[in-house]
Amino acid sequence: MLRKTLARMTLGTAALAFSLGAWASSPSTIKIGTLYAGSGNFAQASTRQYDGLKFWAKQINAEGGLFVKAYGKRIPVQLVAYNDQSSTTLAASLYNRLITQDQVNILVADYGSVLTSVAIPLALEHHIVLFDETGTSGKFFKPEDKNRYIVLTGLPTSSQWPKVLANFLHTVGSKRIAILYAANDWSGSQAETLKTSLKALGANVVFYESVPNSTSSYSTILHRIAASKPEVVAEFGYSNNDIAFLQNYESSGLYFPMVFVPNPALHYEVVRKAVGDQAIRHVFSYVAPPLIRYNKEVNYGPTLDAFEAAYAKSGGKNVDLSTVAGYNTGLIVQKTLATSATFTQEAMRNAVDTFSGKIFTLDGLFQVNHEGAQTGESLPVGQVLPTPHGLQLLPVFPLKSAVAKYVYPTPGK
Amino acid sequence: MPKGWRSTTLIPVITLLAFAVLPHLYNNQFLLFNMMMYMALAQGLNIIYGYTGYLPFGYVGFFGAGAYGGALAITFLHWSPYLAVLAGGGAAVLLGMILIPLFRLSGAYFSIASLAAAEALYYVVANPGLEPLTQGPYGISLPQVYDPNGAYWTMLAILLFSLIISGVIRRSRFGLALSAIRESPLSASMSGVNVVKLRSISWLLSALIAGLAGAAFGWYISVFYPETVFGLGIGVFTIVFVLFGGIGTVLGPMIGTLILYGVYNYIGISTPEYFQLAYGLLIMILVLFLPNGLVSLARKRGLNVA
Amino acid sequence: MSLLEYAVLAGIFYGLYFALVGVGLNLIFGVMRIINLAHGDFLILGAYGAFYVFHLFGWNPLWAIPIELVVFFGLSLPLYYLLVPRLQKSGDPEMLSFILFFGLSQVIEALAVFAFGNDQRSIPASVFGGSPVTIAGQVYPASWVVSAAVGMAGITLIYLYLYHTRIGRATRAIMTERSEAVVTGISVHRVSAVAFGIGIATAALAGIFSPFMIGAIAPSLGMGITVTSFTIIVIGSLGNPLGTVLGGLLYGEALMLMQTFLTSWAEMFPYALLILVLLVKPTGLLGKAVRSA
Repeated sequence: MLRKTLARMTLGTAALAFSLGAWASSPSTIKIGTLYAGSGNFAQASTRQYDGLKFWAKQINAEGGLFVKAYGKRIPVQLVAYNDQSSTTLAASLYNRLITQDQVNILVADYGSVLTSVAIPLALEHHIVLFDETGTSGKFFKPEDKNRYIVLTGLPTSSQWPKVLANFLHTVGSKRIAILYAANDWSGSQAETLKTSLKALGANVVFYESVPNSTSSYSTILHRIAASKPEVVAEFGYSNNDIAFLQNYESSGLYFPMVFVPNPALHYEVVRKAVGDQAIRHVFSYVAPPLIRYNKEVNYGPTLDAFEAAYAKSGGKNVDLSTVAGYNTGLIVQKTLATSATFTQEAMRNAVDTFSGKIFTLDGLFQVNHEGAQTGESLPVGQVLPTPHGLQLLPVFPLKSAVAKYVYPTPGK
Repeated sequence: MPKGWRSTTLIPVITLLAFAVLPHLYNNQFLLFNMMMYMALAQGLNIIYGYTGYLPFGYVGFFGAGAYGGALAITFLHWSPYLAVLAGGGAAVLLGMILIPLFRLSGAYFSIASLAAAEALYYVVANPGLEPLTQGPYGISLPQVYDPNGAYWTMLAILLFSLIISGVIRRSRFGLALSAIRESPLSASMSGVNVVKLRSISWLLSALIAGLAGAAFGWYISVFYPETVFGLGIGVFTIVFVLFGGIGTVLGPMIGTLILYGVYNYIGISTPEYFQLAYGLLIMILVLFLPNGLVSLARKRGLNVA
Repeated sequence: MSLLEYAVLAGIFYGLYFALVGVGLNLIFGVMRIINLAHGDFLILGAYGAFYVFHLFGWNPLWAIPIELVVFFGLSLPLYYLLVPRLQKSGDPEMLSFILFFGLSQVIEALAVFAFGNDQRSIPASVFGGSPVTIAGQVYPASWVVSAAVGMAGITLIYLYLYHTRIGRATRAIMTERSEAVVTGISVHRVSAVAFGIGIATAALAGIFSPFMIGAIAPSLGMGITVTSFTIIVIGSLGNPLGTVLGGLLYGEALMLMQTFLTSWAEMFPYALLILVLLVKPTGLLGKAVRSA
């Protein structure tokens, strides 16, 4: 055992020396390390995100590999992925394994802020850029931390999400707004921003409360909210919270002119199937790809239509935001290696800055600030409306990206 | 040196050497750190369960209290992380003192009540109302003190401390008195053992170890959410490791953790897609075919296990 | 005051349902001294049963009741003989059951992921008729009333079984004094196997209504439900099915009242309540005299 380990170490050191010594000799594969949650709380989104990244790797390898500018040629991609079962403790040790033992060239985070969080200090310590797919917590990107080893590839930080929503509520003239949120980083920061923005716009937040993440019964809370006589009820939570909330609202006999929940934007079909058409009709949410369909704007990688067709052809199904986010991360990695003149982490991070703001993918405009936070896309507001193809979540605000007219106040049940 | 004490010294020495050398042979320091952490937790749980028969399902409560105690000492008091780890231990001891009345309960009632206490504490810490103090659901981040090597050696020290405490208890009059309590609290107290005092001491020692480990863990990962350090999984794993290794000994929980946590990580790397299934089946098979822990296997072969 | 009245009545519905959630765990613990950490996972399996009955066949989830009672009872008998007799030969079966059923819980969760995927699933609340039910001037979801009624029926049946059948009386004899029961010629394994089957089947029964009461279902929810179930049965006393009703009601009331008046502390309060109850009455509300240790 010991001898074997020693032998492996010697080999590892030799390989390192070799790769440092000889510029011209390129690695035989580009190792991309990532984690996914095969089970547990984050599995639903994480497995889809991983599928998106896997599909990208498969496509790239079918084209003969990833073009690496530093070596002036295409090199095949090798995806190294472990299952963290949604456990942060396990995730931390697996990220460390990817960095120190598998010595991956590119490190890609798991889904969401909780499972991304533990990778951040590791990336910083080992000077490896962390491609953060969906860890949108604002605290990962504080200017005072000066952390250059993180790049948020997908959506903006969560506190940016409700800005358009606040404007929308102002535009339609809603004056009494109730905000309920589940006590987690992602939901809390959205609720906080919405409250602050609304107050700045002169609206009245008549109800502002948090519930624990595990809350699964909203009937009593809904009655309390109703007592504050709101025109708009915005509930921020994970998808299990949203589903329970919508179901309880439907069966409560209560009526609010507008109900907003965030998760249809992330996995519309999952939420719709769970609560049924009747409960989701006219509900407001954000809209994000693939519900916003970026096609003609796209200047890097496939359009959304082309991606969906290729993905379906390869046997993949249920494209949602997580799938797009995973695939998009692949595209950003691809662009990074096609841009970076040398094959070092610092050069890669600087390369990201050079194309930031210039490429538009199926996930939208890619633009990061100095700390690596995404600033490119704002999230429009959408509403679940009847179409010839059944109920769909369509962009309704801002008007320039709207494809349908919003219905407000929503008709009673 | 009497025979029993020799192994009491030997186990910490071997552990020290192993975890001092291993980082040079094996790159994944985080895995070694987690291994030490679970070993320390296993010893801590062993002190209360193995020697007194009280099994706290909510043992992770002390771990979480320690992580937050340490983090608050760093954030608000600007303590050095080494001192903050002690503060974490102190926070857990404080929690332990508050929970001493739970010893009025017996068996499963005690187990579940401690679980309820851990859950209640989790919900308090994660409540947005306490954001100015605990950051609520937004979690802790301690980039200013990030130092994986410092935390690694601290965890090793905590592990050694737990081994020494556990070994001393096992060999001392204190330990004898504790096992008398485990056999029969009534007759122990009739023969002059101060049941309440001894049990409280081992409870607080057990809390202290989990608190220290929690604080060192929080320091090591340096970003965490309430559910990270109050995750029931940590407590359940610890209990499983201790029970599998064999309770009431120093070596049992060590071997139990080494094997079960080692296999856990091995399966995670080799067959990530069947991770949970393989691990669950393995545990069931082990229980059904090795029902009294590994130590029973050794005892059957006539070995004296420390 | 109408908010208070709403919460109190809601607590009763919710509590009756949660009594059903916990009662199977209590029965198994009372008879076999087994800590069934997989309890919540069986409940989730029951929930998937209802989900498929509805989505594949378009049937009302109530049809899942007879099917699941038979299937889960039938499957748990071989499971009993596979696991429990072996377990009870060991030195400390109660504690060892903790690990064994933790393993089982992992296996069930993993298999559920393979079979059903990780997506959140649910059944539209409108299956029990679109309109809510008005009781005492307050409006409640129809699914709550149905779930509470099934909860009460389930517990009544268990009560009748335990107190008015021969095998039920034998079950209670084992609960009170296992060794004496053996001496009087009761076939412990046969009686226990039936109790095990009933325990698992009631978990599945409760699962059928979980999409309406516990929210969207996913394979990973089992452990949380097990913890809640433990809270309920310990409040009401271990080994006492009637106590479970009391525990369920207290849990429901605590949760609903807190949701009404101190929302953000709602999930924390039942645990605090459990500790308070036990400090006053160390063996739960309906427990026998205090054994001082």
